[in-house]
Amino acid sequence: MTPSSRLTPYLYVLPLVALLGFVFGYPLLKIFEFSFKMVRGIDGPWIGFRNYQLILGQSLFWESVLHNLQLLLAIPVMVAISLIVSVLLAERVAGWKLYRIIVFVPFVLAIPIVAVVMKRMFQFSGPVNEMLRWMSLDFMALDWIGSSSVALWTVMILIIWRESALGIILFLARLLSLDESVTEAAKIDGAGWWRRLWHIIIPEMRGVIEFYVVVSVITMLAAVFSYIYIMGGGRGGPGTSTEVVELYIFNALIRSSLPGIAAAASVMLFLVTGILIFLLFNVRQRAEATQ
Amino acid sequence: MDERALPMFTRRSLMLTSAMLAGGAALGGLSRGAAAQVKDMDMWYWGEQELPGLQKYVNDSVARYKAANVKPMLQDTAVVISQFQTAAAAGNAPDVQYLWNGIYHMESVWLGYLRGLNNLVKPEVLAASNPTLLSHFGGDVYRTGWYPLPMFWCYNKALFEKAGLDPEAPPKTWDELLVACDKLKSSGVEALGGGIQDGYWSEWYITHSLPQQLDSFGEAVELFIGDRDFRDPKYHEHWVKLEELKNKGFLNKDMSSLELYPGIDLVVAGKLGIGQSIGTRMPADSKATGGKIGYMTMPVFGKGKLAATPVVDVQGLGISKDAEDPAAAAAFLEFLQSPDQLKAFWEATSWLPSNTTFDASVIQDPSVRGLWQNWGLTPNISNVTNLVPGQFYERAAIPTGQQIVAGSMTGEQAGELAANTAKEWKDFNPDMVENYRKWAKDLASPT
Repeated sequence: MTPSSRLTPYLYVLPLVALLGFVFGYPLLKIFEFSFKMVRGIDGPWIGFRNYQLILGQSLFWESVLHNLQLLLAIPVMVAISLIVSVLLAERVAGWKLYRIIVFVPFVLAIPIVAVVMKRMFQFSGPVNEMLRWMSLDFMALDWIGSSSVALWTVMILIIWRESALGIILFLARLLSLDESVTEAAKIDGAGWWRRLWHIIIPEMRGVIEFYVVVSVITMLAAVFSYIYIMGGGRGGPGTSTEVVELYIFNALIRSSLPGIAAAASVMLFLVTGILIFLLFNVRQRAEATQ
Repeated sequence: MDERALPMFTRRSLMLTSAMLAGGAALGGLSRGAAAQVKDMDMWYWGEQELPGLQKYVNDSVARYKAANVKPMLQDTAVVISQFQTAAAAGNAPDVQYLWNGIYHMESVWLGYLRGLNNLVKPEVLAASNPTLLSHFGGDVYRTGWYPLPMFWCYNKALFEKAGLDPEAPPKTWDELLVACDKLKSSGVEALGGGIQDGYWSEWYITHSLPQQLDSFGEAVELFIGDRDFRDPKYHEHWVKLEELKNKGFLNKDMSSLELYPGIDLVVAGKLGIGQSIGTRMPADSKATGGKIGYMTMPVFGKGKLAATPVVDVQGLGISKDAEDPAAAAAFLEFLQSPDQLKAFWEATSWLPSNTTFDASVIQDPSVRGLWQNWGLTPNISNVTNLVPGQFYERAAIPTGQQIVAGSMTGEQAGELAANTAKEWKDFNPDMVENYRKWAKDLASPT
C-alpha cells in the first residue's frame, strides 16, 4: 500500500471531522476561555481563576452539588425496580406484552409533559393528597412540592418513575438474550425465584447493570435540568431546595448575566462528566469482553 | 421560416424594442431609487405573551407606517435580553428594541448598546409615555413607555360582604388588614395569599412592601448592592410582616404549591379573600365576577415617603446604538404614541397604552377605568424589583418569600440572607458597582 493510498480514507472523512471540530470543538474552547474571563456581553478581561474561586466559595454552589449527590440515592432504587420488573416481564407473566408497553410509556413521553402532570398531581390540594385524605391517611398528605424539606424527594420520585423505564428496556433486552437452559436447570434442581435471581440472573447481567448505573450517575449529575426546572417552579424552589448544578449554570448565564461564572461551572461539570464517560467506556469494554 | 420578414423585423423592431427596454430600465431604476428613500428598520419586541393582541397591533401598525419599512420580530421570553445584547455586541442590534423596565434594560445602557432619547424623541411625547424614573441614567432617558402594568392588591368584594367588611373600603393600615383577615377567616374562607411556587408572588410582595420604608428608589439600589444593610430592621420589616401573616394562619394552605396566576384565580373564584394582581388581568377578572374584584394599595405599615403610593410598571421601547438612522427610529416611536395609534392599541389588545393623553372614555368597564384613573394618572412609583440585580433576585428576592411562606425562614433570617447576597453580588460584579451607584443618584427623588 502506498503512502497516498493509506491517507485516502482519512481525506474522505476530513471534511466531516473538520465540521464536527468546528461545531463542538470551538464552543468548548470558548467555554474554557470564558471561564477565565469576566464576560460582559460577548467578551471581557482576563481574570485568571477568579471565577472558579467565586464559585467554590459560594454556599449556593455547594448546596447545588449536594442536591445532585442526593439524587444519586435514586439509583439503587431504579436498579432494583428495573431488575424486578424486567425479570417479571421476561418470565412472560400473563399480559406481559401489555405491561411492557405500560412500563415503557414514561420513557417515551417528554420530560416536561410528565413533569407538568406530576406537578399538578403533587400539589397540596392535588389528586395525590386528595386520595390520601380520602383514605384517612391525612398524616401522609404532605406539601410535596411546596415544602423545602420534601420537594427534592418528590422530584426524585418522578425521576425514578421515568428513568427506571430505560433500565427495564436495557435489562429486558439482556434477559431475553440469556440462555434459558441454565435457569431452567436451576429451577429443576429446586432453586427458588430469589435464588435464581441472585445467583444466576444478576451475575449474567452484571455488564448491563454497570452500564445502566454509570448512565444514571451521569443523568443525576448533568441531565436533570428539565425535571428540576418544571417541578421547582423554574427556579429550583421552594427557596433553593431543589437547585442543582445545571440550574446554577442556567441562572448564572441567563438570569444573572454572568457568562464567565456559567462557563467556569460548566467546565467543572464537563470535567466530572468526562471522567464518568471514561468510566462508562471501560465498563462497556468489560461487559463486551464477558459476553 | 419566412426569410423575407427577418430583415424588416430586425431593423425596426430591434430599435423599438431596445428603446423600450432602455426606457423600462430607466424607469425601473427610478422606482428603485424612490424605494430606497424609504428606510428599512428592524423591531424586536415581546409582549404577546402577556398581552394577547399585541402581535396583531404591531403587524397592523408597521403596515400603516409609510415613512419606513419596519420589520417586526416577536421574541421568545427567555432570550429578550440575551438576544439583543448578543446582537448589539456583534454590531447587529435591531433599530428598535423592546425593553423591560429598570435593570432589564439599564445593563444594556451601561454596555453602550442603547441610545439616549432626550435629543431624539420630542420631550412632550417622551414624558406622556411615562417611561418611569427607572429609565433615567446620567441625565438621559432610554425608553419610551409602551403599555402600563398597574400592580395592586386585589380582593373579592363578595367575600368581604360575607365577612361583614365594607367592600368599598378596603383596609388601609396594617392593623386594619389584620382585622379584615381575621373576619375573613372567621367567615370560613382563606384570608390572603395566592401562589408562590414559581416565585413571582414573592417578587410582587417586595414590589408593594419594601417601598413602604423607603424615601426614594435610590435608597433601594443602595440596599441591593450592599451600601445599606438589610439587617437593619426597617429594611426587612416587610418580611417580618409576611411571617406574621403566616404565623396567624392568614395565608392559604396550598400557597407554596400553587403558581402565581392559579393563585389569583382563587380570588376571582371566591375561594380567597385578598391577593396580589396586575392590571392586564383586570378586564377579564372584573367581567368574570360581575365587577366584584376590588383593588387597593398594600395596607401601610412603613414610614417611608413611598408608602401607600400606587405601583405602575411600564414596558417600553428603545433605540439601539446600531440604528442606521436614529431619527427615523425615533419618528417611528413617536408614531406609536400618536392618538390614532393609541386608539388602535386599545382596540387590538383591550388594554391601555402607556400615554397620559390617551382618551380613557373608550373604557367601558368602570373597574378598569377607575384603575387607570387612580393608578395611571396619579403620582405613582415603578416596580422596585426592577432595580434588583439578577443574582439578588434569584438568590434572595424569590427564595426569602417562598421560605417564609413555607415556614422554614423568619423575616429576620430573610434580612440576613439578603444582606449576605448583596455582599456576594459585589464580589461577583465589581465592575458594576459604580454604575449602580451613579444610577442611585438618578433615582434619588421620591418619584
